Amino acid sequence: MAITSAPKRRALALRPTGRRLAQVARELATPRTLLVGGALVIVGYLAVVPLVYLLHDTFTGPAGLSIGAFTRAYSASSQAGRMMLNSLEFAVGSGALALAIGTLLAYVQVRTDAPLKGLFFAASLVPLIIPGILYAAAWIFLADPRIGLINVVLFEPILGHGLFNTFSMWGMIWVQGLHLAPIAFLLMGAAFRSMDPSLEEAALMAGAPRHLLLRRITMPLVRPAIVSAILLMFVQSLESFEVPGLLGLQNGIYVFTSRIYFVLRQFPIDYGAAGAYALGLLAFAVAGVAASGWLSRNARSYQTVTGKAFRPRPMELGRARPLVGALVVLFFAVAVVLPVAVLVYASLLRFYSAPSLDSLRTMSLANYRSVLHTPLAITALRNSVVLGVGAATVVMFLTAVCSWVVVRTRAMGRRLLDVVAFTPLVVPGLVLGLALSFVYLRTALPIYGTLWILLIAYATRYLPYGMRYASAAMSQTSGELEESAHVCGASWWQTFRRVLLPLASSGILAGWVYILVVSFRELSSSILLYSPGKEVLSILIWEQFENGQFTTLAAIGVCMVAILVLLVLVAYRLGARFGVDDSSR
Amino acid sequence: MVGTLAVVVALALSACGKSVTSGGASGGGSAAGTAAEKVYQQLNGLPANQQRAQAIAQAKKEGTLELYTSLTDDVAAEVKQAFEQQTGVKTNVFRANSETVLQRVLQETSANRTGNDAVETNFGEMGQLSKQGVLADYRGAAFASVPESGRFPGWLADRLNIMLPAWNTKLIKPGQEPRSWEDLADPRFKGKLTLELTDSDWYENVTKSWLRHGKTQAQVDDLWKRIVANANVAKGHTVMAELLGAGQTAVDGMNYSYITQNTADKGAPVAFRSADGIAHTIGFARPQGVALMKGAKHPAAAWLFSDWMLSDGQKLLVSLGLTPSVKIAGDNSLQGVTLEPYDVQGLTQDSKTWDDRYDQLLRGLEQIGGD
Repeated sequence: MAITSAPKRRALALRPTGRRLAQVARELATPRTLLVGGALVIVGYLAVVPLVYLLHDTFTGPAGLSIGAFTRAYSASSQAGRMMLNSLEFAVGSGALALAIGTLLAYVQVRTDAPLKGLFFAASLVPLIIPGILYAAAWIFLADPRIGLINVVLFEPILGHGLFNTFSMWGMIWVQGLHLAPIAFLLMGAAFRSMDPSLEEAALMAGAPRHLLLRRITMPLVRPAIVSAILLMFVQSLESFEVPGLLGLQNGIYVFTSRIYFVLRQFPIDYGAAGAYALGLLAFAVAGVAASGWLSRNARSYQTVTGKAFRPRPMELGRARPLVGALVVLFFAVAVVLPVAVLVYASLLRFYSAPSLDSLRTMSLANYRSVLHTPLAITALRNSVVLGVGAATVVMFLTAVCSWVVVRTRAMGRRLLDVVAFTPLVVPGLVLGLALSFVYLRTALPIYGTLWILLIAYATRYLPYGMRYASAAMSQTSGELEESAHVCGASWWQTFRRVLLPLASSGILAGWVYILVVSFRELSSSILLYSPGKEVLSILIWEQFENGQFTTLAAIGVCMVAILVLLVLVAYRLGARFGVDDSSR
Repeated sequence: MVGTLAVVVALALSACGKSVTSGGASGGGSAAGTAAEKVYQQLNGLPANQQRAQAIAQAKKEGTLELYTSLTDDVAAEVKQAFEQQTGVKTNVFRANSETVLQRVLQETSANRTGNDAVETNFGEMGQLSKQGVLADYRGAAFASVPESGRFPGWLADRLNIMLPAWNTKLIKPGQEPRSWEDLADPRFKGKLTLELTDSDWYENVTKSWLRHGKTQAQVDDLWKRIVANANVAKGHTVMAELLGAGQTAVDGMNYSYITQNTADKGAPVAFRSADGIAHTIGFARPQGVALMKGAKHPAAAWLFSDWMLSDGQKLLVSLGLTPSVKIAGDNSLQGVTLEPYDVQGLTQDSKTWDDRYDQLLRGLEQIGGD
């Protein structure tokens, strides 16, 4: 701080109090305080608005303060116990599966000389890009016990009946796990990339076997990222609706979100009960944040990006190389090729039917023609790109600053900041939409009815993700590099921009890509906040879905995959120019 | 952080001290309402043969029509196009599901910033809007053609959703299809039946109809228990129709006939009429409606839209396979269909109890005896 150039002061001319005030003001007016303060205020504001709204609705009844909402939500007839157990089982199961897949893929891609690295890119991102509704529907057509292609083609001839049932808890975990794996892949990939391999090499030299090395050295080093990934995926599974909605209900597997959905469409809407469920989710999430804080204590021990130079050197797989290659191909086939193939197939039909000579005869490109002729397609695409890029940039900038405060400083209330930035994750999208429209209908600023309100909504929704990505990246970077920049006379802003951001760039870029992609899918708050002319792609998709144009929807999905893969490729190429490791491609 | 919190709390509390959610929407019309209502009254009061021309002239001066609707996208697009062509009034359409339309209108009216001129959505939501006092009456020339059963306080029915069972014609042999609601409880549909998560108004109508026709509550409860034992649950009628066409399920306990018909028109093997062209199950027709906003900024355009929707618009709905509320020549969506009245009163008064009961039924909880 002393580095900021102070103008010549006429200190003596000022009275003592005035002088002190001036000094405080000068100290406060440094770029660092302004930036950090500004970011904190914005993040706080974004997160607190929906939270206050939620709390207000949950705890007020017709006669003032009340906890009636909780009684309604968790009464015996709501089967709350079983519902919570289902939710937990689903969230833990799919989180674990996603973590295993994502971590393995990330490790193999970043740290080994595995073949076919190009496939990783698609394998890790395509499931993320396909809207949840479509991904779940694709899996119905693949693994339905009666009409699922895998069952019909592979298992019925051998076993006489289907083997997989996508409508079971295991089926739900499978689909959700595959859909979530990209979060883990992006986070873990960034972590592995910024990990100094010298510790691993030392262990190898000392004769440690590979499995011990993984367990005792590699995994502990990327613990902040693992913890962040678990937390995000756990909460996101708790909060997601598509898979429980499409797959769970068939056999009566209810979770938190099916209950929230149900409550939100009753008349009159019981916002209180929905809020009570949301706060139940919040309790789980806060416990998760606390646990992750506890797990990430001793932060210094994960800092492998230090003043010492390092160059990640890929581990040679040796004889295992073909085997790893085969596993990658298998995973790619299951997670990407099969669902996308079903979508491509469906997009060529007029209505979905299992492949047969009849259905092959009716194939045409009519759905793609109707997508191209949708009058709003271009507007929606443009709006989605603007909002996706805007939200990703805003969120990653804000959270980079905030996570710096959380990870690096000893500022009072930094834990609270971490929790606050996490709360939007559990506010149901519709409630967020209501909160924002409530606030901006009552302000004079021209925000309601414009793209700004959607940008605010997206920035709010994806704040928690940005925070996880950014703080996982920051935790790995040692403070000593900043200190040396400081010593060399760099201002805080210069240090932040020239040292910290580039060092954490692979994590921040991963977060940016993630937010860009998921904001293309955001629906539940957009649907209340968009205005004619401000449509986004997810709205268009939902329209097709509600109108029963499933095959047109599949065509839109296929186009979306193509567009986003292209966007992400560009992002990584640009990222590479700014110093992100080459192995990301 | 604390400062931010304070600002937000202040914002929340300053909102007229009203509930943060949907409450307090009743004030929506009072400020701007008088102006719009005057226009409505003036147009309602003109001789029938002058109304349309006057409304068009005034609407063109107003500039645009802002319409909120839950009509499906394809239908909404046709409605917009035809209305613009026939009246020359530019139309902006906000399309979303009915719950969202309701939320948006309530949010805007409660902030005294009514954004739409006219609204077109489902029965339940129309009832809510009417209760909030934000709708105004249309009493123009087309009013007379709306049947008595389609007239509600503040809104008029412009189309009907017909509730009937649907089945996959490849999986269900002719003669084996459900021919009554009771049939859904038959063991032959074990594991072959799909029910929709939120069809509580259907549940209410069938239950009351059974009671009306002499069944005891115990018999009714038993039937529902057996129906649910046969069934899987799905979300969304269009998904159900798609899965029905794909053969994932054999029977939809209830789907809207126009959705089944649209799916069949694409070539999928689904039907709601038996091979003899008759829907043997007695259906229920849920009215969906159109209304004017008290706080409309373009009242003449709103009035014109209601007038058009209940006359020329009805023909358009027929051509799109929907069931109009007004009798229109060439409408065969009701061919072979027998209807019982939809329980408007019961569902206006107490839809939540039925939501809860249906929800509990689907989750296999003990049925709470009837009322």
